[in-house]
Amino acid sequence: MLKKIVKSSEFVTFTIIVLLSLIIGIINPAFFSLATVFDVLRASIVVSIMAFGLLLVIIAGGIDISFVAFAALASYGTHMFLLSRGYNGGIFLYYAIACVIGLGAGLLSGLIVTRFNLPIFDVSLAMMTMWYGFIRFFIGSTKNFKLPEGAVGYYSRFLVTVRDPFVGEAGLHFSILYVLIIGVLIHCLLKYTTLGRGIYAMGGNREVAIRSGFNIKGTLLVVFGILGVLSAFAGVTHSFLSRHFEPTLFMTQNLDVIAAVILGGASVTGGKGSVLGTFMGVILIQLINRAMVLTGITVEWQQLMIGLVLAFFISIPAIRDLINKRASRAVEVPEEI
Amino acid sequence: MNTTNLKPKVRFEMQTLLLAGILVFLLLFFGLNDQGFLAGRSISSMAIQLPEIGILSLAMMITVMIGGINLSINATANLAAVLSGLFILRFMPESQGPMVIVAMVGISLLIGVITGAINGFLVGYVGVPSILATLATMSIFTGIGVGLTKGQTVTGFPEVVGSVASLSPLGIPMPFLVFVGITVIAYILLGRTTFGFKTRMLGTNPVASKFSGINNKAVIMQIFIFSGVLSSIAGVLIMSRTMSASNAYGTATYVMLTILIGVLAGVVSGKGSVLNIFITVFILQVISTGSHMLLAGVRGSSFFKDFAWGVLLIIIFIINYFTHGRRKE
Amino acid sequence: MTNEILRVENVSKAFAGVKALDQVSLTVQEGEILCLVGENGSGKSTMIKIISGVYHPDQGDIIINGHSYKQLTPIESMREGVQVIYQDFSLFPNLSVAENLVINEQLSSGRRLVNWKETYKTAERGLEEIHVSIPLDAMVSELSTADRQLIAVTKAILAEARIIIMDEPTTALTQKEIQSLFEVINNLKAKGISTIFVSHKLNEVTEIADRTVIFRNGRKVMDQDAKNLDIKTMEFYMTGHELDLDNSQLAQPDQQAAPLLEVEKLGLRGKFKDVSFQLRPGEVLGITGLLGSGRTELALALFGETPADSGTIRVEGREVTIRSIQDAMRNRIGYVPEDRILEGLFLQQTISDNIIVRIIDQMVNKIHLIRAGASKKVSDEWIGRLEVKTPSGELPAKSLSGGNQQRLVLAKWLASDPRILILNSPTVGVDVGSKASIHELIRNLASQGMGILLISDDIPELMQTCNRLILMRRGRTFGVFDREDITEEQLNQEMVADRVFSI
Repeated sequence: MLKKIVKSSEFVTFTIIVLLSLIIGIINPAFFSLATVFDVLRASIVVSIMAFGLLLVIIAGGIDISFVAFAALASYGTHMFLLSRGYNGGIFLYYAIACVIGLGAGLLSGLIVTRFNLPIFDVSLAMMTMWYGFIRFFIGSTKNFKLPEGAVGYYSRFLVTVRDPFVGEAGLHFSILYVLIIGVLIHCLLKYTTLGRGIYAMGGNREVAIRSGFNIKGTLLVVFGILGVLSAFAGVTHSFLSRHFEPTLFMTQNLDVIAAVILGGASVTGGKGSVLGTFMGVILIQLINRAMVLTGITVEWQQLMIGLVLAFFISIPAIRDLINKRASRAVEVPEEI
Repeated sequence: MNTTNLKPKVRFEMQTLLLAGILVFLLLFFGLNDQGFLAGRSISSMAIQLPEIGILSLAMMITVMIGGINLSINATANLAAVLSGLFILRFMPESQGPMVIVAMVGISLLIGVITGAINGFLVGYVGVPSILATLATMSIFTGIGVGLTKGQTVTGFPEVVGSVASLSPLGIPMPFLVFVGITVIAYILLGRTTFGFKTRMLGTNPVASKFSGINNKAVIMQIFIFSGVLSSIAGVLIMSRTMSASNAYGTATYVMLTILIGVLAGVVSGKGSVLNIFITVFILQVISTGSHMLLAGVRGSSFFKDFAWGVLLIIIFIINYFTHGRRKE
Repeated sequence: MTNEILRVENVSKAFAGVKALDQVSLTVQEGEILCLVGENGSGKSTMIKIISGVYHPDQGDIIINGHSYKQLTPIESMREGVQVIYQDFSLFPNLSVAENLVINEQLSSGRRLVNWKETYKTAERGLEEIHVSIPLDAMVSELSTADRQLIAVTKAILAEARIIIMDEPTTALTQKEIQSLFEVINNLKAKGISTIFVSHKLNEVTEIADRTVIFRNGRKVMDQDAKNLDIKTMEFYMTGHELDLDNSQLAQPDQQAAPLLEVEKLGLRGKFKDVSFQLRPGEVLGITGLLGSGRTELALALFGETPADSGTIRVEGREVTIRSIQDAMRNRIGYVPEDRILEGLFLQQTISDNIIVRIIDQMVNKIHLIRAGASKKVSDEWIGRLEVKTPSGELPAKSLSGGNQQRLVLAKWLASDPRILILNSPTVGVDVGSKASIHELIRNLASQGMGILLISDDIPELMQTCNRLILMRRGRTFGVFDREDITEEQLNQEMVADRVFSI
């Protein structure tokens, strides 16, 4: 059992997180504080929620890049709509409407993919371009900072606050609970439901999954629906946290979310991945960002650093394969016959 | 043995005809709706920006043909522009002579080769899947550019830099000539040389390719270097046209457009038609300029363009589904 | 005990006007082991698909357990207890053994939730039934082919199969594993579960079958108690004519000629060690052994794909280093791989392109462009010489039948004029007629002076084509025999034995 844990990709990611944290901490002891933990967690909230949705798609064997457009459509669309109605209440209605929009957008993609047997990546490519164009042409093209009264205090609703020697006061935003709840739900879906096992099955061998009687189309529709809802949820949360809504939300960040899921141990070809691993992947990326800031790498070089880390990380499985080929020869041919 | 030539290439040509048909339809549609559309000026304005996308599309196409993808093409183009731009500003800021052009083109091509080699190494020798490798290198190449320029756009080039884009030998804009020239070279390379043959075979079945004596790693390296060089040429054209070099130019959108063009043109692993790419690039440009003119005065018309791209792609997919029979995914 | 469990009555099926099955009737008794034999295209695959509900017959009835069906669906077929084990075993490589075993049942029960405890219990129970022990939480991708097959059989049993259909189950198994499988099948028989065993390998059929049914051209031509059928008779019915498998026609290699290939103490850590032999021009040298004996690795080492790390290789007297496929090709060594679909062919590309791919670098003119005319000439020539049945060289390779595809792969290598040709299981999945002609081809090539290394599991094939045989076990050679000095039975025993057989 222990052997299995150690061999898993999640463990590799975990080890890297620990090592990286240690290295950063040694260079800059301010890192080892609750404030940092809270800060990392807060930065991870929105990406995690989207990543959990994307995880399902990746396990199923596909890659989607349009989920960011779902987030933008749902959040910005809801906002402009409610604004035009003079809405001044709380956040709940935002979430409700946005999730419905997200669900609709997700299902639209899902229907096109399943009805016409199209590759998920290609469809998502089209959808992403379409939705961002749609939003900016039909809804609006400028950022909007007018929040309803009921939502103004949202960004500072902390779960717990602590005193911190460096920053003064640091708080853990309560929306981290969303991550926890959604994470647990997705995990249970994947582990304990037939539908969830079907996602793994599809990703492992689609032919056999069909032959065994899995409802591939139905499963994909659910996956896309969830992707849409979670993206919408993340979009609204982000907008409230940053106190503005924008039509080009997350436009350049779909690759970051994909990277997080991959770093978390999911396989690009499908059939493998976990909620825990994905969350760690998100954390890892945050740590890398922080590592650079704290070790004094000036801002303009950070992108290069991230690129190098990503390059290193994706080379690991490939290098591991090369090593394995040699390791299989480590056992000497037996003497007696 | 009877070996009459049965022409199974018919299906391949259908795609070309379909695309040509769409192009004609669009030309008529926009031409009839707006008298100025088919006038010389709008054609020549199209002809100037189209080559950049066209060359980038070829850069993308060849990597798709070996079963991979190159997400770093735009980053390469930008980096080539930035590095050659910085060089020119540092060493020949006042010069107007041809040395500037030599520097611009020479350094860009060099960057194209180096970036291509990095991609080729990661994908061919280390064995990283190309989507991940080029995702990483995209970040790296942009990162280098951003680091060197601190995120600023590089400007202030000597006038002669703009000449590549503005020259019109025989009345045809230079960029367009470059595009046509490259298209022809690509056509010959892919269709008539052993390199192209091996590319197609590798894309069809990498394992059989290896066992048939094709040096897969070398082919992958060559393809990515070629892709990098093409991207850098696009970078030169962009730099010349905009008289600037920026890491933010195009970004994800340009990459997406090239993938879209590839899909429309029917490029798949082991199979790709340079001619289809050529026509498809025109289709996109016609839609772009045409809708821009149609919606001139309407706010945000370029966004409508994006919306239209997406819808168009979906429609093409659906048409493909019905014409090529139910594809078993 | 002799209850009829399945009856197929006067079933016909045509595809695009071509009759795949013509008025075929068949019965299977409870607890019977029925072997279904026939060449590619004989209709046996279609029959299987009809019994499992994947195809609907144009005419005729299917009666299972007394229930009559005209349009059987896969789900109904499964409910009646028909379980088919396909060549990929219908397993999920990324899921555990336990989950794979239970998954069909989970789906058909319509349960939405997964109870892992129950899953493990049921899986455990299933494995016990056939006395197999495989760790329940192992990922299927980590298992050997033989183990995967056993899991597939267990899966079928758990699904309460009454008839298990196995399609070419022994293709990837070693002799020892085949014996294990036969034991399992006999276990099933004792439990009253019938087995339909589809196979090309006639020697296995004679060993395991209670009854043998032979298909040819969509018709059933033989349906008899297996005891009364010998291989020669079966072949006759399968092909419709006598096959000349006269063993004594092998050409003898020139004993005086210098060896083409000399291998001395060749080794690859962990795979094989101390391998030495010589190959003369005109000789067919067979290499055989259990899976894991290192024979494929030896071949791949000679071909440069997984180079050896000790020992010497001499080609035509000169010592050479082979560290890459290019090195091997430079020394005019060719390799026809085991899995022609995955490793040998470019299915979507044209037949001609498949032929010239190995020699494409030679097909260029002064400015390095491909000479289309010359290419066509070469490919047409080889299509003719190897009798690849196709109306045109421009058709995609996937349009060819199995036997012709194998010929195509051979053509590719022969076009490069090798001196030494390594063939790895060249007639797997090839019908008897094509098999014989490929064997003749091999003998012809040898007689023209080529040196051939034939790696095979197929004992009759080895006996028919090879001058000498090398046996390998666990990475070492333990016998080099002239064909005259060993019989089929001895060879068979050798393969399965755990002790050295000394001659």
